[in-house]
Amino acid sequence: MDSLPENLKQPMIDLLLAVADDKLMLGHRNSDWTGLGPILEEDIAFSSLAQDEIAHAQVIYELLSPLVGKTADELAYGRSVDQYRCAQIVELPDDFDWAVAIARQFFCDHFDRLRLRALSHSSYKPLADVASRLAAEEQVHVDHVDAWIVRLGRGNDESKRRLQTALDQLSPMAPMLFEPVDREAELTAAGLYPQAETDMFHAWRDVLQHVAHEGGLALELSPPNAGAQGGRRGHHSEHLKSLLDEMCEVYRLEPGVAW
Amino acid sequence: MIDTEAIMDVLREIPDPEMPISIVDLGLVEDVRIETNGDSAVVSIDILPTFVGCPALPMIETEIRTKVGAVEGVGEVSVRFIYDPPWSVDRISDEGRQSLAAHGVTVPEHGSKLDVPGHGSTVELRTSAIACPFCGSNETRLDSQFGPTRCRMIYYCEACKNSFEHMKRV
Repeated sequence: MDSLPENLKQPMIDLLLAVADDKLMLGHRNSDWTGLGPILEEDIAFSSLAQDEIAHAQVIYELLSPLVGKTADELAYGRSVDQYRCAQIVELPDDFDWAVAIARQFFCDHFDRLRLRALSHSSYKPLADVASRLAAEEQVHVDHVDAWIVRLGRGNDESKRRLQTALDQLSPMAPMLFEPVDREAELTAAGLYPQAETDMFHAWRDVLQHVAHEGGLALELSPPNAGAQGGRRGHHSEHLKSLLDEMCEVYRLEPGVAW
Repeated sequence: MIDTEAIMDVLREIPDPEMPISIVDLGLVEDVRIETNGDSAVVSIDILPTFVGCPALPMIETEIRTKVGAVEGVGEVSVRFIYDPPWSVDRISDEGRQSLAAHGVTVPEHGSKLDVPGHGSTVELRTSAIACPFCGSNETRLDSQFGPTRCRMIYYCEACKNSFEHMKRV
């Protein structure tokens, strides 16, 4: 179908915001490393990741634009904190700890790829077309981060210890990437977001554990508690506000003006 | 009377802003439609972006509008970016591949899958079987999965000590 049933517009808006907001915030965090990557190739890699994620966010905000009557820029920069639908893991600063940056990328890129693959089968054709394209691009991110997980895990005592610490730090919050948006089950029932929730979580956990074990690392992941409320329902960490204050500083000077 | 081939000839003259080949050889042009309206024609062109939100797209659009709009008898040009079918490296023509190789850019072999299943290839920290475009050696390795543009990676040839670029397998 090319248009959405009226009664499912709101949950679809929330879902698309979750996809785009995850990508925008992660892209912004990735761009922190531009000029500061530990080696030149990773400086380029994180700059490219940022470019990819922000471009992906833009195309999703453009899909949203006619549904909400706002421009992509207004959606990206013009909302209050509680109107964002990103998971809290993308909000965290990594404090320029390379291991934390890689661990976060590991959890988020794999999740993003699985979510996009599910959306590429959506009965809403404009979304399916875009998601299928984005999923192919996201594969490159997954390959990149998997290689680093294994490389650091097999590196030396320090690289292994630091990456293990980062995985342990983020693994309790990472499953909240799977927190559903309000009325997500209705989207799934209607074929708009085809996924079996538990299957998607298990697929994610299995692939992450497989790669971590290749690197000699331990990784425990439990499904999010039913009823836990996080970013998908607008409950954010204190970091999102400071991230937005920085990211939107120029936009807020004169919203709507062409710079 | 304007025909599709005449428009394609014009499009063949438009280089991709980030690649040394034309947008036709790169496989970006999906469809050209011509509607004649009295003595002026409306030309509609469907373009498949390589990467979503590629910064070269607005430049490509402007070039198409300018060049096609200058063809005698063309009154209006409309350019649409679509994602169905998705662009893939398999759409690059043989001439395009040769021209890219001459500039040190290799392309994944024809028929490579859009969707790389699983994650197996990533765990062996890879050596590649991609032949160097300069000396033909297979002693090459992936240097960086990200390169000068979003669609390219960087490889290094141990035999001739040159870097070269390889297009991402999408």
